Amino acid sequence: MFELLRTTLQAMSHAGDIPTIFQYGFVINALLCAVVLGPVLGGMGTMIVTKRMAFFSQAIGNAALTGVALGVMLGESYTSPYATLFGFCLCFGIVLNYTRGKTGMSADTLIGVFLSISLAVGACLLLFVSAKVNTHILESVLFGSILTVNDLDIIVLFVVTALCLGVGLPLYNQMLMASLNASLANVRGVKVNLLEYIFIILITILTVASVKIVGAVLVEALLLIPAAAARNISKSLRGFFCWSVLFATISCLAGIVIPMQWDIPVPSGGAIILVSAMFFVLTTILRSSLPSFLEAKV
Amino acid sequence: MQHSQKILTQDLTTSPSIEFQEVGLQLGGTIILKNVSFSVAPGTIHCLIGPNGGGKTSLLRSLLGQMPHTGDIKVCGTCKIGYVPQFLQLDKTLPISVLDFLAINCQRRPAFLGMNKKWRKQAVDTLAMVGLSGKEERRLGSLSGGECQRVLFAQALLPMPNLLVLDEPMASMDEAGSRIFEEIVQDLCASGVTIFWVHHDIGQVRRVAHGVTCLNQSVLFHGDADKVLTGERLFGIFSNTSREDESCSYVAHADTSQPEPVALQGK
Repeated sequence: MFELLRTTLQAMSHAGDIPTIFQYGFVINALLCAVVLGPVLGGMGTMIVTKRMAFFSQAIGNAALTGVALGVMLGESYTSPYATLFGFCLCFGIVLNYTRGKTGMSADTLIGVFLSISLAVGACLLLFVSAKVNTHILESVLFGSILTVNDLDIIVLFVVTALCLGVGLPLYNQMLMASLNASLANVRGVKVNLLEYIFIILITILTVASVKIVGAVLVEALLLIPAAAARNISKSLRGFFCWSVLFATISCLAGIVIPMQWDIPVPSGGAIILVSAMFFVLTTILRSSLPSFLEAKV
Repeated sequence: MQHSQKILTQDLTTSPSIEFQEVGLQLGGTIILKNVSFSVAPGTIHCLIGPNGGGKTSLLRSLLGQMPHTGDIKVCGTCKIGYVPQFLQLDKTLPISVLDFLAINCQRRPAFLGMNKKWRKQAVDTLAMVGLSGKEERRLGSLSGGECQRVLFAQALLPMPNLLVLDEPMASMDEAGSRIFEEIVQDLCASGVTIFWVHHDIGQVRRVAHGVTCLNQSVLFHGDADKVLTGERLFGIFSNTSREDESCSYVAHADTSQPEPVALQGK
């Protein structure tokens, strides 16, 4: 199916119907991922911001490094070590949430601890496996590389997206309610703890599926920045969600197309985040200059 | 109160009654509740009073199934609970409007798609009832503390409950808000809703409550508001004595070693 799409678009590009960047199969792959990834990351970002869990996906991104290293050590394909990536990151996320539930520690403290541990373990293991693989592979895991996206990556991303939409949308209100007031949510029959785990699992699989495009280090930024930019100019949940989805989608598409179109030698992840950062700067200026957004200074 | 009449005449099933039987709660080695036994009659306003740290909120959360208590808490009858917490801890810059908040609480459709027609009408009516007409689209974080409490009250009425549990909801409310709140609670009670209310304003308790329980780790006294709220008792509760001292003094004043239940009379 993807091959058919690529062939069609390449033929159209050769005929001059669409821009010349569509002559390259890897660009079409990357754009396919961007079209799917942008809206989902934008939508999930609103929940991340509301639940104040911005650094959780950063911790998962760091755990992805360890997952890749483990995959290489266990003999998985070093370009797509999905079994160890998903396995390790899911264990990591679930243990983090379990520890939070058991200790009652604040999320930022615990995420900080786990983030550091995962980075330390990842760094040690990567040094160990760096002799076995090309260091550029590790670079692509850290900062994303559209050149290495293949059909398997696209399929994984599509499945993860379908899961996030299928589970996340029906539970959106309940997750939001639980984050605003857990006691109130509980009275309304919401399984607050179960929802926490579901949310953690969704963010984890989404982060892992995004690693190839955006990079382990930068995926957190794409979850956070579009939502933060949307929050700057929104007064309702609808605006918050829609702007976040729009910013994230445009960031993904522009971050892939602009470096290709103008031969700018930057990794896709970096370019995507820079575009989303631009939205954040613009909306921050807008917010600070519009009287309708005035807030108390202290 | 036109809107309130419309909402409050909804079909309500039989009102539930609540029975606490030897309820105990211990957290981190500290005894929070000890042998708490009393009952709340159906269709009445029952206020839970007592000094700070006396275990009122803990008992209320035990009723809601959120505390690992011992003993039994029985809610008899079909029960649809509406709950108003003490406050809403909210990041004030979050772009969530008043209607968004109500949509999150009462409808299944993701709230970012907007409130569906059925709920929207009820939500607007309920907001008018609590005195927030015209503030439906206001950002929740831009409301005052009292207005926020009114929103919390409105969410508890969507859908209409037959057991309303209130945890000191009027702490930051002004006089007008307090009066509206009192009227609505009385109207709800008249339409058959059982109200279990943690409250500190003794004057208001005297005005609205049918039954009162005073709690300080264990039940100090319980009964009809008119009979048990004596000046001597109230002075003892809210004077600066330690928990142990208070407990001792109350048992002595009540002339019994156990709190004596008094039959509740509807007002």
